[in-house]
Amino acid sequence: MSQTITMKKMEQKLQRADRKHARLYLFCNFTALMIISAYTGMMLSPTVQATFPPGGDSRKQMNAIFMLTLIGCVVFTIYAASLFFRHKSGQLGILMALGASRKRLMPGLLREVLFLSSLSCGAGILAGFPFIWIIWSAFRLLLIDSSDMKLAFDLRCLLISFAFLLVVTAFSCIIARHYLRRTNIMEVIREEHISEPVKELGKWCAPAGCALLAAGVLLGYCAPGFYRKQYNSLTPSWMGILYAPAFAGLYMIMLHAVVHGFRSHKHNPYKNIIARSMMKFQGRQTVNNMIVVTLLIAGACFGIFYIPMVSIGPLMGYAAQPYDYFYHYRADQALPDKAAVETLAGEYGLSLKDWDEMEYISLGFGSMSTIMEEDGEHWRKEYVPIAQEIRAISEDTWNALTGEATDVLPGTYLCITNAEETSISTNSSARHITNMVTRTQIPTEYAGLLHYDLLADRRGYRILDNTDYALLSEGLTADWKGKIVRFNVDGKDNYPFADALFHRIVASFDEDCFISSFYERTDSILAEEQGIPDWQASDSMMLVNPKEADSIHFRQLWEYIPNFRVLSQNDFLLSTSVFLMMFLFIFIVCILTALIICYTRCQTIALNNRYVFDDLRKLGASPAFLDREVKSQCGSVFKVPAAVAMIAVYLLFILLVYGNDGQIVFSEIVALGACLGVEAALCMLTYGIYQATVAGIRRKLEISV
Amino acid sequence: MLYVKNLYKSYQTGKNKYQVLNGVDFYVEKGEFVAVMGPSGSGKTTLLNCISCYIPFDKGEITIGGTNLAGQSENELAQFRNTQLGFVFQDFMLLDGLTIRENILVPRIVQGEVPGEAEELADRLTALFGIQHIANKYPADISGGEKQRAAVARSLINNPLIILADEPTGNLDSKSSRTVIESFGEAKKRMGATIFMVTHDSFAASFCDRVILLKDGSIYRQLDRRGDRGQFQDQLLTAIKEMTE
Repeated sequence: MSQTITMKKMEQKLQRADRKHARLYLFCNFTALMIISAYTGMMLSPTVQATFPPGGDSRKQMNAIFMLTLIGCVVFTIYAASLFFRHKSGQLGILMALGASRKRLMPGLLREVLFLSSLSCGAGILAGFPFIWIIWSAFRLLLIDSSDMKLAFDLRCLLISFAFLLVVTAFSCIIARHYLRRTNIMEVIREEHISEPVKELGKWCAPAGCALLAAGVLLGYCAPGFYRKQYNSLTPSWMGILYAPAFAGLYMIMLHAVVHGFRSHKHNPYKNIIARSMMKFQGRQTVNNMIVVTLLIAGACFGIFYIPMVSIGPLMGYAAQPYDYFYHYRADQALPDKAAVETLAGEYGLSLKDWDEMEYISLGFGSMSTIMEEDGEHWRKEYVPIAQEIRAISEDTWNALTGEATDVLPGTYLCITNAEETSISTNSSARHITNMVTRTQIPTEYAGLLHYDLLADRRGYRILDNTDYALLSEGLTADWKGKIVRFNVDGKDNYPFADALFHRIVASFDEDCFISSFYERTDSILAEEQGIPDWQASDSMMLVNPKEADSIHFRQLWEYIPNFRVLSQNDFLLSTSVFLMMFLFIFIVCILTALIICYTRCQTIALNNRYVFDDLRKLGASPAFLDREVKSQCGSVFKVPAAVAMIAVYLLFILLVYGNDGQIVFSEIVALGACLGVEAALCMLTYGIYQATVAGIRRKLEISV
Repeated sequence: MLYVKNLYKSYQTGKNKYQVLNGVDFYVEKGEFVAVMGPSGSGKTTLLNCISCYIPFDKGEITIGGTNLAGQSENELAQFRNTQLGFVFQDFMLLDGLTIRENILVPRIVQGEVPGEAEELADRLTALFGIQHIANKYPADISGGEKQRAAVARSLINNPLIILADEPTGNLDSKSSRTVIESFGEAKKRMGATIFMVTHDSFAASFCDRVILLKDGSIYRQLDRRGDRGQFQDQLLTAIKEMTE
């Protein structure tokens, strides 16, 4: 006589027997939560928060990709839950058919759902942290290690993960309730075998989808700029809806891929007809999955493209700069002179050549400025006679610096930009130049652009007529004057000397010089004169700490940061390490999620159609034919989203690069070429996983090619 | 025991409405073994599903053992199904994670408790249907015929008013079909079971006391078995031929 069995024991026994079916559900929940917990852990980590400028493009990009990942994970878990319950419904239906009431079944089912959800999600949340640690440590060990990269967590990141856990659990409970509330028990029993055909549209839906995708991207990208220009106002958040046509277009492209496929078989219209029909009858979930995969691969491309886009331009710039060492300082600072620098160079076995020193002055320049209205939403453009501090050199200095013979007309000024004219420090709207000590002011007029990369820094330089320069220099105190130093190393340069000179220079500055290049001395002076508080004094972003001279913050913001080629080349990765790691992490997370979804979707398609493959075999289909049908289905799931995402993001990047300044310069062309290389590598990775998936399905369906 | 009066049922698919049952009237006496036959689409399974309370019907009346199914709440219907009806399905519908003995006990487990007498009955039923040697095996380990005999045993565990069987031999070979139908005969003879069976199989139907022929959602004809089984099967085949001509 066996042991008496109760309802609870029976449910437990059935749950144990169902472990195989619960595995996919557990796996998807675990993966989704691991990804979300890792992403939020990284995104909200104090290191990343301190490095990514608030309101900056990189932060916006990070947040936008997080939203994509979140949507992907939501769809992913909903899909896994519905698969699990589709199987479970057969069991529930039998029990209901045998007279088990909803009331009787509900507690057991909810217990199971809660157990599986909390177990998988909890494990996923916990696994997120070692996942970050592994990537963080691998990055430091294999790629870049900098003192900025301290692994720290803000436990608030758990809030998002727990919110997601609640969503997953609540959704699973809602589906469970939905199955139990059905009045037609036969439908519940047969749920597992019911197909979910997709609504079939004509072959026009692919071209229409492409048009909608392009229109959505263009509209979503261009409309906010147009709105800002037209209404002098911040873009309202509802404008995000303008991207909606892109999603509709994406849906239509995926629908076409599932229903018709993209290959034309005019000479053999029956080719792949079986694979297409199999996909059509599970079309809804397949199309949904393919859309999510497209978004995730797009997110991955966004993340990985960041690296060549931000690094190639500066690295090319460092390689092309005409002097090894270039720096400037205020005239009231006691920096090492030529002899001291030569002595230091000697300590590192180096000698110097081409030493040059030139002077500059700092002046108040007028500008057409953007003044925010009190509502904080709108602004107006207004000319301000003293709007910013700009460095100026005389035409003689410019000619000595460049060997040119430029003549600047009195009452005019020229702006200096870099060779590619991508510098943001040019301003053609100044009508007044002011000596900030004596308040001598002269009218001026913009006269054009000249090129010299080393002077095209964030604050910028202007070239004045010699007479104007002399007039404006009169009465200036040493703190409004400065020196530019440039020299080369005779022979091969070395990093230790550059690093030692850098720290010697930093140590030579007085405390009041450790300001950000965003700091406007003119604003502080005017605020003091008008008796209004100087907001810059209390803003930590306006100051830098000399004790953290190797930090990203210091290197990116300090007003007097020297430009040493060997130092810049070596430390570029260090100074951008947190950005690079975050975007590399985003890439890994997105591509991992996308490939897992593709893999599970292909497994599901193949296994749900196992009986079709058996029937085809009985009808005499060769292994090669069956293999082609498997490949055709898996191919659509892997290749179409990857192709659409990569092409769309690549075109979008061209648009972004062009949209920045209305041109695509050489370094950007090289960076876009590198992005193409990255896409090729991504294609190979996707193809490798596709091959592995096909091989796995072949084994499961016992197809021996 | 079972009274079906003026039963109507239709399905809606998109904009199209399909009338499946068109005013069906019949009864089944206590201890009677009745089959419903008819061509595909005649409404046999829909009729059985309405009687089983699996799907709601549009109009009419179904009374089992004096209980009118119309107007019953979901919970009342569930309890009725559990305590008063026994079910046998074409695809057995055994729970894969439970042993055969446990599967037989499922209707009692669902009630909340499994008294010793239910366990004794389960053992008696396995013996009666010749499946005691597989009582502790799982459905995946036994043959289709054995699964269906287990399902018949399960349908009897609650001493139901009536056993409702949907194509019980549909997935079985001829030998297994015969064994399963003989199980119904045993249940009727030894336990006084009332059986209402839907089938395509004239051989299975020929074991019944009466056969109802259904065509286009209405009763075409009813045939009572008077002679031996073989003659009755011939009679059935002739009637089916007439009906389909």
